[in-house]
Amino acid sequence: MTSITWISPEAPVDTARLGGKGAGLVRLAVTGLPVPAGFVVAPERFDGALDDVIGTHPGSAAMSLAQLETVSERLRTAVFERSAGRPALDDVAAAYRRLGDDAPVAVRSSASGEDAPDHSFAGEHDSYLWVRGLDDVLVAVRRCWASLFTARALDYRRSAGGLPTGAMAVVVQRMVDAAAAGVFMTLNPSNGDRSKVVIETVWGLGEPLVSGLVDPDRFVVDKVTGQIIHRHLAHKATWAVRDPDGTGVVTDEVPADRRDAPSLTDDQIAEIVACARRIERAEGCPQDGEFAVDDAGVQVLQTRPETVWSRRPPTGVTAGRSAMEQILHTITRAEAPGAPDDPT
Amino acid sequence: MTTRRFPDPFAIETPAGAEGWEDMYNWYHLFGEERREQDSGRFWFQDRLHHPGALHPYDEIQCECWWQALGAFNTRIFAMPPAYGVDQRLLNGYLYVSPVPAPEGDVAARAEIFGRRASHYYEHWDQIYDEWKDKVLARLQAVRDLDFSPLPDLEDERVVFDHVGTSSGYRLIESFDRMILTMYETYQFHFELLNIGYAAYLTFFGFCKEAFPDIPDQTISRMVGGLHVDLYRPDDELKRLAKEAERLDVGDRILDATDAQALFDELSTTEAGAEWVADWHHTSDPWFLFNTDPGHPGGYHIYDTWQDDPTIPLASVKEYVQRLRQGEPLDRPTDEVLRERDRITGEYRELLATDDQATFDEMVALARLVFVYIEEHVLYIEHWMWATFWKQSKALAASLAQMRTFDDPEDMFFLRRYEVAEAIYDTVAAWSVGSRPRGADYWRPIIARRREIYEVLDAHDPEPALGPPPAEISEPFTIMLWGITTDTVSEWLADDDDEDGERRLRGIAGAPGVVEGPARVVRHVTELESVEQGDVLVCPATSPSWSPIFSRIAATVSDVGGIMSHTAIVCREYGLPAVVGTGNAVATVRTGQRIRVDGDTGVVTILDD
Repeated sequence: MTSITWISPEAPVDTARLGGKGAGLVRLAVTGLPVPAGFVVAPERFDGALDDVIGTHPGSAAMSLAQLETVSERLRTAVFERSAGRPALDDVAAAYRRLGDDAPVAVRSSASGEDAPDHSFAGEHDSYLWVRGLDDVLVAVRRCWASLFTARALDYRRSAGGLPTGAMAVVVQRMVDAAAAGVFMTLNPSNGDRSKVVIETVWGLGEPLVSGLVDPDRFVVDKVTGQIIHRHLAHKATWAVRDPDGTGVVTDEVPADRRDAPSLTDDQIAEIVACARRIERAEGCPQDGEFAVDDAGVQVLQTRPETVWSRRPPTGVTAGRSAMEQILHTITRAEAPGAPDDPT
Repeated sequence: MTTRRFPDPFAIETPAGAEGWEDMYNWYHLFGEERREQDSGRFWFQDRLHHPGALHPYDEIQCECWWQALGAFNTRIFAMPPAYGVDQRLLNGYLYVSPVPAPEGDVAARAEIFGRRASHYYEHWDQIYDEWKDKVLARLQAVRDLDFSPLPDLEDERVVFDHVGTSSGYRLIESFDRMILTMYETYQFHFELLNIGYAAYLTFFGFCKEAFPDIPDQTISRMVGGLHVDLYRPDDELKRLAKEAERLDVGDRILDATDAQALFDELSTTEAGAEWVADWHHTSDPWFLFNTDPGHPGGYHIYDTWQDDPTIPLASVKEYVQRLRQGEPLDRPTDEVLRERDRITGEYRELLATDDQATFDEMVALARLVFVYIEEHVLYIEHWMWATFWKQSKALAASLAQMRTFDDPEDMFFLRRYEVAEAIYDTVAAWSVGSRPRGADYWRPIIARRREIYEVLDAHDPEPALGPPPAEISEPFTIMLWGITTDTVSEWLADDDDEDGERRLRGIAGAPGVVEGPARVVRHVTELESVEQGDVLVCPATSPSWSPIFSRIAATVSDVGGIMSHTAIVCREYGLPAVVGTGNAVATVRTGQRIRVDGDTGVVTILDD
């Protein structure tokens, strides 16, 4: 059976086969959202490497970070070497050819469940962007398999009392040559207002925004009416664009006439809001996601549950007051500052 | 920006040529030395919503009706916790108002009383409103039934053979007193429901703003509106008449007509035409009992109703016939508005904390309930009742002129109503005795002087506000109805010009959308014909009687009105971007200037000179 699951609306959402990130992308596709074309490589196990490398159980809390790093590197090297002949790589090659001639892709680890570290930080060994050419793609896949044993992953598991025992799936997805890109949140992070979608965008690729290097345009949109409540346009002097040779990313100057222009049209904003609402409904909780816009239109890159406001239940306004009590509360407060606080 | 303070009311000078204006109004309605200290220390704003122009002495009753009734229901009956009434003063012929807060120490006790009393009304609202309509319509009929015909030389013999026992002279005295009393009484009913209705509406607004801090005002309004409300019936009848005209194949003649009476005469020569004319006349009572004041309807005796000047509603019918021929839909999409209302309400409800949802449901239901009253009372009272009062007053004036109490019927409106009662007695006594009253000879010089004074006052530009400005405006009526907020006060205090030379007017975001276009300043409904396609209407306030031109204009800017004002409600109903409550748009903008109206933020920018 092939190791490949194509990201499509028909794909089964099987986290064991797809890992967390892969499953998330398939869920987006199943929900009918536009995602960049790609596929997920099913998890490969490397128990042999593990047994060979680990002499003593590295579960001891006394191991230092440096020691952890050493063990990690040894493990990763072992996995990488042993992965060379895996039959799954033939499946990857065939799939990559189907994506198109030397398409630039992102190759990313997709860990499952208990082996997945905190989503919020990208690891240095588990994500490769602007990879082109079959050889480089296969190398990237193998490195991702090995990233199961990064120092961070080991450390995470160490505090949980064990080694990573699972296996790593890998997502391979076409890079979006973005004209504009950004993030969306299905609530207003300034005040927790759940009736808004907040979108931040920059020209070009989204990395500078995600890493907090540039000041983006900001749009606050009402979910229910679609009205754009606030627009803040930033001065966008630079952008990240694809390196002309097709791999990697460079920073360049934005053409003068676009620096103060909105990086999204109102139609694009409406489209992103529609996607965001759809995801939120499907996932059942506020979302924090990334998107990019190219010739094909808006595409969703990833999404995850929002973590700050959603952890608290929505703050109630009425505090259990009936309508009449709410009327009294309103009219007695409205009159003057310094009016006594309603004890209810 | 330079700042200035509002002047002390006692420092305001009388415009040259208006000396002695104080005699034109009731003494208790003026600033006076006896309460100078109190009055100087209060903030007063000119009520441009109800009375943008100077007042005729007779018309003063319009202010006094609500001065008393609004106050009594807040202060003494429902014990509105933070608010007493809204005080009034006339200065140089213009009305200034000042909300009176309840003493802070009393607020808690008042809240308890209000809770009990207002709950009773909310819980029985439907029934109470039905009773209310019956009461008000009965008072309307009572005023309609009054007889102000001139006194006969010889009484009809029925007074003897039916043992009536009273003279027509007595009947005239009694009719006038009864009419005045009935207006006072009707206004009791007006405020019986209005203040607590607003309290419920304001609460719903406040709740939505707290749950969803960025929610626009007009989105909240959309959760409440869209209901069947009689206020829109007059306009709906005009549309119906347009459709009937096409059905009866008289549309062409209507489009050619310039004078209503000439049209009716011409149409009556054919069967189809006569049918249409009969329909018109039947519809006219009561649906054309519709005031055409540029601001709040019914505020003055000087504006015609559609009945008085059928050319006004005829212009609308012509407009509608044309739109029908162009295949445009005439009917307001009420089904769609209601569907949207329910969708919007449902989706916001889903976003609330589960604990809030039950109370939200209660508040939405209550807001929708009171909203019908808030809208409809304008038809019954501001249109029907006042139109009838002014019509009967003009009948009285005509009779008195015929009996030589006045040279001209319009003279009567330069007397205070108490003076009119005196003039009636003078007339009746003379008629009864069979000799001559002091009448016109007595009043002539007084009226002549007052006419001069009135001209000066009406041309005068009054201060927008007097007294120390409050740090914050929080009284609900001031904000929701008059559209005066803390920002408005700052605007009045500051210069007009922005730092970068752009002239901006700030108001309230009345209805969403941003448009640019040439301004068309319109002060009166008779000027509506001049409005062209794509114009941005700039006016004191809009009203449904102006609705025929809504399809022509791109946006509305008005001087007066808050989110609860008529202008805002009407613009939302018709889907027009609007900025309301700018304060001085009519005085500032010139016809032809290119302006940008931002109905999302409430800013109007004059783009060129």
